[in-house]
Amino acid sequence: MPDDTAGAAAPADGGHGLRAATLDWVEFERQRAEDPRAYFSRLREKCPVDYDEGHDGWIQILRRSDIDEVLRNPEVFSNLIPELMSSPLPAIPMGVDPPDHAKYRRILDPLFSPRRMAVLEAEVVANTVATIESFLDRGACDFATDLAVPLPCSVFLTLFGLPQSELPALLHMKDAIIRPESLTDDPDERVRIQTEAGTQAFTLFGTVLAQRRAEPRDDLITELLKAEIEGRPLTEPELLGICFMLMMAGLDTVTISLTCILAYLLEHPEARRAIVADPEKIPTVVEELLRWETPVIAVPRITTRDTEIAGCPIKKGEMVHVMLASGNLDPDADPRAGVVDLDRADKRHLAFGGGPHRCLGSHLARMELRTVLREWHRLIPEYSLAPGASITWNGHTLRGLDSLALTWPTDAGQA
Amino acid sequence: MRLTIDTARCQGHGRCYDLAPELFTDDDSGYGEVTVADVPADRVELARRAAEACPERAVLLDGV
Repeated sequence: MPDDTAGAAAPADGGHGLRAATLDWVEFERQRAEDPRAYFSRLREKCPVDYDEGHDGWIQILRRSDIDEVLRNPEVFSNLIPELMSSPLPAIPMGVDPPDHAKYRRILDPLFSPRRMAVLEAEVVANTVATIESFLDRGACDFATDLAVPLPCSVFLTLFGLPQSELPALLHMKDAIIRPESLTDDPDERVRIQTEAGTQAFTLFGTVLAQRRAEPRDDLITELLKAEIEGRPLTEPELLGICFMLMMAGLDTVTISLTCILAYLLEHPEARRAIVADPEKIPTVVEELLRWETPVIAVPRITTRDTEIAGCPIKKGEMVHVMLASGNLDPDADPRAGVVDLDRADKRHLAFGGGPHRCLGSHLARMELRTVLREWHRLIPEYSLAPGASITWNGHTLRGLDSLALTWPTDAGQA
Repeated sequence: MRLTIDTARCQGHGRCYDLAPELFTDDDSGYGEVTVADVPADRVELARRAAEACPERAVLLDGV
């Protein structure tokens, strides 16, 4: 049940959501990001569902069994959430509920199958190697900004059949749409920048769609144009909504996952040495570290009727936050959830969500993560945190590092 | 135990062949396909996990 023991003068450990009632939400999220595993472990022990009165009735679902239940019942726990993913058009398929959702996923899932993604791999490898080689001799880079940010964007361009020369424009669009606050402090200017970037994105997608209509290729956009739902092709707004969703969902998620995994390997040299010695282990290591880190901490749902979870009443129209990072470490679901096992064979983790809305791009994301880990450790097997640098986790729902300054020995010995 | 995929429900999430490649494969379009329809006793647990993991509940496991 919701923990209602906290008063205004609650100690740091006693507030709702273990948040002291006096602690600012943003600062609380930042502190939580330092050690989300400890936070969720303590909270999960206290209650299955946490209710934070001080933050607009923030409801967190914490146990694996309840999380599975919520994610598998889209009739009650809906994705029809206003302004999902900052998309001005319906975000397809994430913002669509069953039964319509299935019609879109049936078209989209095969386009993101492992076989389809394997076709892209050679180009992703080439882009990864070229990026690493651009700073390799320097013996230093910021792993976050020099590789983890641009790489998923370059993959997106590959996926859409766009030239890599569009990379700077795409990087700007993504930041302007997802976090305009990183570009300006002025609220009005924020809205202007965000709207302008949204228009730029739709213009770009509209151009690509027109080009592929005129000259079909063997690529994702051409397949989308050929696809039919109940005997009709997708409409232009549907196509644009899908393109926008793919951009929003596939960039920062991969970026933060890369920084989470590299930070783990930086702090666990034995794990790093294991994958340097045997790159065949990388797919399994990626899965386990996705579970352990759960970079996408939570996904939201909105209730379509009065309901209850683990005996806790939830009213119609309330937002619930499905805490994937908690469910992935729930000892009731797996007694060994609290340890990292880089050989773990069971891949039923929640890092890609669950239920019908489970990540469309999981096979693509895995291919990107595996490729970067393989090529990075092949070219830079030994690395350390740059002198004077530190690791600062951001406090967002997408948990990661905005900066990860690394150094490594070079032939010239200037590490 | 008999393992099948309800093709009308399957959308190609790929969880089955991802989690249990011993029992499933992906067809040319990326949808799941059963490779071992009569599940031997030592694979029943694996089949059950795959069925539970299917986001569409399209993987069916029935006693015969």
